[in-house]
Parts: sequence; structure tokens; C-alpha cells
Amino acid sequence: MLKIKNIGKNFGGVKAVDDLSFNVDKGEIVGLIGPNGSGKSTTINLICGVFPVDFGNISVNEQNISSLPTHERVASGISRTFQNIRLFKDLSVWQNIWVALQQDSDQSSGWMREWFGNSKLQKEKIKEILVFSGLGDRFDDLAGNLSFGEQRRLELARAIASKPKLILLDEPAAGMNSDEVADLRQRILDLKKLGLTVLLVEHVMELVMNVVDRIVVLNFGKKIAEGSPENIQNNKDVQKAYLGGA
Amino acid sequence: MSFGLIDILQSLIDGILFGSIYALIGLGFTLIFGAMEKLNMAYAASSIGGAYVGLGLATLFSLPLFLVFLIGPIAAGLISILVYLVSFRLIPSTNHLGSLMASIGALFFIDEVIIHETQGSPLTFPELGIFAEAYFMLGDLGFRGDLIFIMIFGLISMGVIIYLLYYTRLGLATRAVSQQNVAARLCGIPIHTINISTFVLAGILGGFAGCMAAASVGVISPLLTIPITIKGLIAAVIGGLGSIRGAIIAGLMIGGVENFFLLVRGVNERDIYVFLLLFVFLVLRPNGLFGNEINRD
Repeated sequence: MLKIKNIGKNFGGVKAVDDLSFNVDKGEIVGLIGPNGSGKSTTINLICGVFPVDFGNISVNEQNISSLPTHERVASGISRTFQNIRLFKDLSVWQNIWVALQQDSDQSSGWMREWFGNSKLQKEKIKEILVFSGLGDRFDDLAGNLSFGEQRRLELARAIASKPKLILLDEPAAGMNSDEVADLRQRILDLKKLGLTVLLVEHVMELVMNVVDRIVVLNFGKKIAEGSPENIQNNKDVQKAYLGGA
Repeated sequence: MSFGLIDILQSLIDGILFGSIYALIGLGFTLIFGAMEKLNMAYAASSIGGAYVGLGLATLFSLPLFLVFLIGPIAAGLISILVYLVSFRLIPSTNHLGSLMASIGALFFIDEVIIHETQGSPLTFPELGIFAEAYFMLGDLGFRGDLIFIMIFGLISMGVIIYLLYYTRLGLATRAVSQQNVAARLCGIPIHTINISTFVLAGILGGFAGCMAAASVGVISPLLTIPITIKGLIAAVIGGLGSIRGAIIAGLMIGGVENFFLLVRGVNERDIYVFLLLFVFLVLRPNGLFGNEINRD
């Protein structure tokens, strides 16, 4: 599904990501963990093209996307949420979804209908996504007026609306209490049930260890370990990286 | 100098009607600012440039003169695309000052091209047929038909733009781009296409304003560019950058203030009071009439 091959990114001489390679298979939930500043968010930004890679290749379903602009990567099936919530706050909840909603590829609707078409035709679909995300009763509210937890759910809903095959979650549990984390865990498993592939960047181990199939550990932009949650918990290098002195 | 109430009212009416041109230009500034959080200083220059192209083509091919008012706006839209490509697309979006300076460069470039092509002398500009001849009297007060036409056009444009921005997916995408640029791209929105559509729309409105400004005085000259740039910009700032109705209302207000002080204090002092108005707003209401506080992370 997602193949990352020897990618690197320098910021003013600092190697934020250094010769990193890993794969994510279809239908898998993979956790990407590591101490602060280890290059997790940079990796996500490179995958979705917020900035370009300096070296290496990223491919999705055998298609090399390394040099595509971001909005075309979305068309190839990538979607994401953000560590610091980035909703369109002055748009209503349903409009946030509408903006992201991709046209069905089998439906040959021209650009006229795509940009000037009637929202009524798509409200059913939008409603469906919002109900799935537990926001059915917030349809007409302004996104900026939602509670923190609801805003996180709306971000996830918006990420689903672009019909992704691979969804990148950047610290979705940040600032959540344990009830909310449990709810989030269920939502991530629901994504898997829908057939989506998930790459989860997260610090909250309570979530990571209980939801992922496999973990990739970064430190100083390099991969230091990869394996099942049990293996990673017992890995000496990982323990060292988290406890310092690495 | 003596003048009565009627003179004052008449000068306010003339001014507010002429303010429609500032309102349209201010609307263009505000549209582009709303979409990109950047000022396109070349905007009024491309508007006047469009009017010149319209006049030039109509003269060259001996077209009926009313077509100037059709070709002008289209040409201004095309010039706006060039300005976007040169001054915005090629300059990193994080470099705000870069685009500002590049667009000031584009302003002077367009002006220079006009001066070279016309040997620096003003050209006669056609009037807009029946609208120019129409003059309505209401008691002792007169209303110029062509200016009423521009005002109605401005108000309709405002309505159409508000509809586009708030009720179509294109408009919502435009607002999404300005609110969260990265997230918008990740929703599959092609931001450059969106930005170009804003520039074209603003350019067409500006081209029309440029044609009407020239038509209302009967001549077109590159000297029109700077005053229209400045007053359009003041309209956008007083209205609250990014606010559509704000730009329209402030544009009309500036026209009124300008003409009132023209009557009361004469042509030499007129602009001082317009800047004073800007100053008062910047101090007392820095976000303008309808401006929101800019919140964006």
C-alpha cells in the first residue's frame, strides 16, 4: 500500500528524517512512535506533500507520489488529520465535509457541477459521514463552536470524506482523557473495518499498544526498531531512546 | 466661497455615486486579500490596463464602442492572471513582503507599458451610450445616469460574490484555502486554480470599474492608476480587509467625503481629508467597519 524508501529531509543542516524506509500494508494499522523531535510529524508531512522530500521515494499502490502536489496526492488516496486541529472554523460542520467530499470517479461530473453544483444532492452523503463520526446532531453548527473532542471527530470525518485508502493520524489522542481515548480507539478500529489503512503517529501508548498491528520507532530521524507491540515494548534500543542517553 | 444645503447634498450625491468606482476596486483588493491574505498592489493598474486594451482593440478593428466595456473587463481578467503568475505564484507563499513588492513592480510595469504605447498622452474614452446621457432630477438634486449604473453594477457584483463565496463549493473552497491553507490542499483543493479564479473574478470587476472611471471623465490616462489604487485600498482597509460589504460601503463613503471636501476646501486639500478618514479608522477601528480579528495559526 504505502512504500517509503530511503527518504530524507534536512532543515538547515539538521537531518529531520534520515534514510527512512518502511512499508504499510493494505488494511493494516501501523503506529509511528518516537521521542519528541524524532521526525514523526515530518514523516507525515513528507508523505502528504506539505514539503517535498530531499531524497528517496514515496509510493502509494505502486504509484510514485514523491513529486506530486498535495491535492493530487489526495486523489491517489491519502488523507490526514493534524496534531493541532486545522478545521475551517468559519464554515459550518457540513460545509467542512462538503469542501473535502470527492466526486465519485464513476460519475462523470464536469467541473461546472463540481464547483457550482447544488449542495442538496450531496447532503445525504454528508449526513451519513457525520452520523458515522458521531456528529449527526451538529450538522449546521459552525465548526469553530464545537467542543475540542467534537473538533477532533470532525477532522477525522473530513479526512474520510475525501475517500482515502490510507489515512494518516497525527497525534489524534493529544489532550484526551481516557474515556475519549477509548472512543477514539473504537473509531480507528471502525476505519479498519471500512477497509482503510491507517498510519498512526501517537504519544499516548495506552492507545498505540491497544490498536496497532505493527509499530515503527523513530529516533533522530532514523528508524531504530520495527515490530509487534510486544516486541517493541521489550526492545532495549527503544527503552533507551525513551529514557534518554541514546 | 458660499454654498447652500443643496450644494452640499448635490456634492455628496455626486461623490457617493463616483465612490462606486472606489467600491469596486476596494472589493477587488478585499477579495484577493480574503483568498490569499496578500495585497495585490497591481490590481488597479491591471484594471486601467484592461480598459486601455479594450479601447485599443476597439479602435484597431473599428468595433462598436460599447464593446470597449466588454473587452476591457475580459482583458483586465487576463492581465490579472499574469500578475498572479509573476507576483504571487512564483514567489514562495510564506514570503508576504516578496509578493507585495513584486505586485508594486507589476503596477509600475503596467503603467510604463501604457505610457510607452500612448506616448504618455491621455486618450479620449467613449461614454456608455444611453447611461451617459441620462440625468435624473429629484427636486433640485441631479443624479448622473452613468454613475447610477456603476453603483447598481457594484451592488449586484457584491450580491453575486457573496452568493459565490457562501453558497457554492468553489466559494467555500476559496474560504477554506484562506482559513487553513495546508488543510485545504489536503482536502484535494487545487489552491492555485482557486487563487487564479479569484484573480480573474476580481480582475473582471476591476476592468469594468476602470472602463467606467475613464468613461465618467471622458479620458483615460495612466495618471488614473495611482489615485484609484490608493482610494480602492483605503476602501478595502476602512471596510475591513476581507469584508465584501465593508469594501462597498467604505468605497461609497470615501467618494462622498472626497467630494464634500472638494466643495468645502477645494481640490488641493481634498485628498488630505480622505487620508485623515483612513487615519481615524486605523486608530479607532483598526479592523475596519466589518473586519474580523484575523485568527489563523
